[in-house]
Amino acid sequence: MKQSIALKFKHVCMLTIAASAGALTCAAAAADWQPTKPVEIIVAAGAGGASDQMARMMQAAIQKNNLMKQPVVVTLKAGASGGEALLHMKSSAGDPNKVLIAYSLIYMLPLSAKIPFDWRDLTPVSVIALDQFVLWDNTTLPYKNVKEFVAAAKAANPPFKMGGTGSKREDHVLTAFMEKKTGAKFAYLPYKSGGEAATQLVGNHTAANVNNPSENIEVWRAGQVRALCVFDKERISYKAKVTDTQSWNDIPTCKEEGLDLQYLMLRAMFLPGKVTAEQTAFYVDLFKKVTQTAEYKDYMEKQALKPIFLTGADMLKFLESDEALNKSLMTEAGFVAN
Amino acid sequence: MEAFGLLLHGFQVLLTFKILSLMLVGLLLGIFVGVLPGLGGPNGVAILLPLTFTMDPTSAIVMLSCIYWGALFGGAITSILFNIPGEAWSVATTFDGYPMAQQGRAAEALTAAFTSSFIGSLVAVLMITFLAPGIASFALRFGPPEFFAVYLLTFCSFVGLGREDKHKTLISMTLGLLIAGIGMDTVSGQLRMTFGFEELFRGINFLVAVIGLFGISEILLTMEERLALRGHAAKINLRVVWSVWKDLPKYWATLLRSSAIGCWLGITPGGAIAASFMGYNLAKRFSDDKESFGKGRIEGVFAPETAAHASGTAALLPMLALGIPGSGTAAILLGGLMVWGLNPGPLLFVEHKDFVWGLIASMYLGNVVGLVIVLSTVPIFAAVLRVPFAAVAPMIIVSCAVGAYAIQNAMFDIWLMLAFGVVGYVFKKIDIPLAPFTLALVLGNRAEDAFRLSMIGAEGDMRVFWSNGLVGSITTLALILLFWSLIAAGIKKMQGARNGLKHSG
Amino acid sequence: MSENEIVVEDPNAPASDSPAVTSTRSVDIAVSVLLLGFAALMAFDNWRTGMGWAADGPQAGYFPFYLSIVLGAASLYGIVTQCINREGAGKAFVSRDQLRRVTQVFVPTLAFCACTQWLGLYVASFLLVSGFMRWVGHIRWWKSLLTGVVFTITMFVTFDLAFDVIMPKGPLEALFGH
Repeated sequence: MKQSIALKFKHVCMLTIAASAGALTCAAAAADWQPTKPVEIIVAAGAGGASDQMARMMQAAIQKNNLMKQPVVVTLKAGASGGEALLHMKSSAGDPNKVLIAYSLIYMLPLSAKIPFDWRDLTPVSVIALDQFVLWDNTTLPYKNVKEFVAAAKAANPPFKMGGTGSKREDHVLTAFMEKKTGAKFAYLPYKSGGEAATQLVGNHTAANVNNPSENIEVWRAGQVRALCVFDKERISYKAKVTDTQSWNDIPTCKEEGLDLQYLMLRAMFLPGKVTAEQTAFYVDLFKKVTQTAEYKDYMEKQALKPIFLTGADMLKFLESDEALNKSLMTEAGFVAN
Repeated sequence: MEAFGLLLHGFQVLLTFKILSLMLVGLLLGIFVGVLPGLGGPNGVAILLPLTFTMDPTSAIVMLSCIYWGALFGGAITSILFNIPGEAWSVATTFDGYPMAQQGRAAEALTAAFTSSFIGSLVAVLMITFLAPGIASFALRFGPPEFFAVYLLTFCSFVGLGREDKHKTLISMTLGLLIAGIGMDTVSGQLRMTFGFEELFRGINFLVAVIGLFGISEILLTMEERLALRGHAAKINLRVVWSVWKDLPKYWATLLRSSAIGCWLGITPGGAIAASFMGYNLAKRFSDDKESFGKGRIEGVFAPETAAHASGTAALLPMLALGIPGSGTAAILLGGLMVWGLNPGPLLFVEHKDFVWGLIASMYLGNVVGLVIVLSTVPIFAAVLRVPFAAVAPMIIVSCAVGAYAIQNAMFDIWLMLAFGVVGYVFKKIDIPLAPFTLALVLGNRAEDAFRLSMIGAEGDMRVFWSNGLVGSITTLALILLFWSLIAAGIKKMQGARNGLKHSG
Repeated sequence: MSENEIVVEDPNAPASDSPAVTSTRSVDIAVSVLLLGFAALMAFDNWRTGMGWAADGPQAGYFPFYLSIVLGAASLYGIVTQCINREGAGKAFVSRDQLRRVTQVFVPTLAFCACTQWLGLYVASFLLVSGFMRWVGHIRWWKSLLTGVVFTITMFVTFDLAFDVIMPKGPLEALFGH
C-alpha cells in the first residue's frame, strides 16, 4: 500500500517538472525529504541487548547498502528500564533525525511505573519484526516436555523459580499468564538482563526461564538448556540446525504441547511527534529497504525473529490491539500501579 | 594445558595491526596521564573511557588496560624524580626511590621500578592464566545468595578493616548505597527517590560520579597546593638497565614475597595500597640491614612496586569472573564492560573467549611493550611536567566533561559531575573516605537485587545465607570482618588478662 | 640550575601563613547537618514508596529507608562528637589564599558547564582553555588562543569524527551543518 503512495508522489512530481513550474519545491517536498544531520537510532535498552544488536544491524545495513547519505549513530538510553528513551523521544517532538527502536515497553512502562508517556505522542513508522518467547529448562532436570514440567511445577513446594528480565515486563507478564493457564505457582526472579537469566538457569539457580531465542542461543547450543515450547501459533520457520540435533523449527508450539498460550513482542520504529508526512514517508521507505537487505534477513534467522513489515493504518491497528492485550494481561496480573 | 591453548588464541586475537596500534596509543596516553599532576590510574582510565564506547569490546579493553599499565608506569616516574606519588600506592615507592634520585641514581631507581612492575604484573597474569579456565565452572555455583554474601564480604571488610573513623566510613558507604538506589528498582519495577524529576529516572551513573569525585575534585585539590616542583632529570641507558637486571636474582625473595602479597590482596578487596605498604614493610623486616631502608636502597623500590602491580593486575580476576572489582580501576573497567554490552560473570569466559583471553594476552604484551617504551622515553615524559598547569587543568576539565556526557548522552550528567567534584573535594578535606562511596555506587544495586532475589527464592527465609558450605562460609567470614576491630580488641584483652594473671600469679 | 634538574616555579602559590577562612571542624559539622537533612528526605521518600517486608521479601523502599536511618545516625554521631571534642577546631579547612586559587578553577569550570549547555561543548571548551590560560595562567595571548583552537579541534576530530561519540552542540556547529 505504501508503495503505491510513493508512486503517486512521483507522478505528481514528474508532472510538476514537466510544467517546469516548481521543480525545487517538488524536490524538497515530495521527492524525498532527506535527513540533514546524522540520524540517531535511540535504543531503549542496555548495550548488547536485543534492541541494541538490532539497531547496530540496521546501522550496518544502511551504511553498507548506501540507503542514506547521512551517517547513522546508535544512542543508548537504557535508564529507568528504557523509560529514559521514551521520555527523550517525547521531548524531541519535531526532530526528524531521531528514530526509536521500540518494543512492548511502550505499553508496559506507563502502566507499571507511571512514566508519563503514551506511544500516541510519537509518530509510528513501521513494525519490522516480532520476537518469540520460548519456555526453557535446565537439561539436568528430568522434565523433558511441557506436560511433565507443568505437572512438576504444580506439585512443587517451594514453587519453581522462574528467571526473567525485569519486573512487571514481558517475562513477568508471561509467567503470570502461565500461572493462570496451568494453575501452577512460580517464584519469579527478575534479573537485570536476559543474559543473566540464562547464566542463572545454567547454574541451576532457577528451574526455567522464558527468554527470547537470541538470549539463550549460546547456552542452548552448548547443550546446557532445553527448549520446551514456543509461545506462538506456529513453529519458528528456520530449519537450519542450531544444536547438534535441533533446529528452531523442531521446537513445538506450546499449543501443540497442551498449553494454549501465545505471546509475541513487537519490534517497531517510531519518529518523535510533530514530524511532517514527507519525513515519515522517507523513513517508511528507508526501513522497507532495510528489511530487504541481506543483513536484515541474516539477522532475523540468527536471532530467530519473525519477519514482518507493517506501516500506516495496518500498523496502527496492530498497535491498538497489541496494547489492549498487554493492558488486560497486566491488569489481571496486578502489575498496574495505581 | 588448556590454559596455554587459550592463551595462544588470545595472542592471535591481539596480533592485528589495529589492536597493536591501539595498545601503543593506550600505553602512551597512559604514561602521559600518569605523569600529569592531578591524574592517575583510575582517573585517567575513567576520563579516556569514552574513546572506547564505539569500539568492539576486545579493542576497547585492550586499549583501556594499556592506559592503565601506562598510568602505573607514569606514576613511578613522578614518585622517583619529583617525590610526588601520583597514587596512594606509589607512596611507598618514594621512600627509597627519591633518595636514590637525589644521590644521582635516578636511572637505576626508575629501571628498578619499571622492572619490578613488570615482574609483579607477570606473576599475577600467570596466576590469572592458570585460574581462569577453572573459574567459569566454579562461578556457575553462584546464585543470588552467594553473590549477596560476596558483596556483603566486600562491604564488611571496608567497614571492619578501614583505618578511617568508623562513622565516616559508614556515612560514605550508606550515602553511596542510597545514591545507587535512585531511579528504577529492578526487582519491583518501581521508581524511587526521583521526586518526579525526569533526569533522575535513569539513576546516577557510577562512572559520572567517579569522574567528578576523582577528576574534578583532584584538580581543585591540586590548585590549592604550591605547584612549584623541583626534581631530577634522568636518562636511562642500556648499561644502567643491565646493571640493575644483573642484580635481580639477588632479590628473588623480595620479588617473590611481594608478588604473592599483591596477588592475594588483589583478589580479596584489600587493594594495591595495602599491598605496596605491606610489601615494603616485610622487605624491611626480613632484611639484614634495616637501617639502610629509606636512604636509597634499591630493594625499597622493588618491594612496593612489585606488590602494587601484582595486586592491580590480580584485581581483574574477580572483576571478570564475578563482577566484583578488587580495585578502583577494576571498578571503572567493570563500568566499561557494561557500556560495551558485556555482562561480567562466569559466562564471559564461555561466550566471550576472544574478549577474556585477548585481555589476558594483552596483559603480557602490554607490560613488555610498556617496559620498553617507558625505559626509552623517560626524559620526554619527565618534561611533560614543565607544561604549565594553567594549560593542563582546563584540558583535564574538558576531558572530564566529555567523559561524563558520553556515558549516557545527557547534559544533566555534566552538572552531576560538577556536583560530585565539589563533594569529593569537601569529603577529602574532612577525611570521609571516598573508596567505600565508589564501591557502594558500583555494587549497591547488585547487592540489593541479590538479597531480594534470594528472599524471593527462599520465601523470605534468612537461613538461605547459610544454606550450603559455600554461601555459609562467605557470610560468616563477612560478619567476622565487620566486627573485626571488636574481635581483635577482645582477643587482645583476653591475652592481656592472661598475661596479667601470669604476672600476678 | 644544573642540567640534571627540572624546576617549575609557582609565583602565585598560596602563602603558607595565609589566614584560615574556616576550620575543618565547622565544615565537618556543616556537612554532617546537610547529610542528616538528606537522610531525612530520603527516609521520607522511601517511607512513601513502601518500606515494609512483603510476603516475597523487602519492598522497594525497604533498603533505602534503613540506609537513610543509618546515614542519619552516623551523621548525628559525627555532629555530637565534633561538638564535644574541640581538638580539631584550630585546623584550617581552607586558607584565604587557597580559597582564591580554588575559586579560580571552580568558577571557570562552572561557567564552562553553563556554556556547554547553551553553546555546545566545543565552543565552551575553546573558551575555557584559552580563557583559563590567559587570565589565570597569564600565558601570552597567541599561545592561549592557539592551544585552545588546536585542543578543541583535536577533541572534535577524535570524538565526533573518528570515534562517533556525539557531543552536545550549539549554534556555531549548526552553521556548519553538524
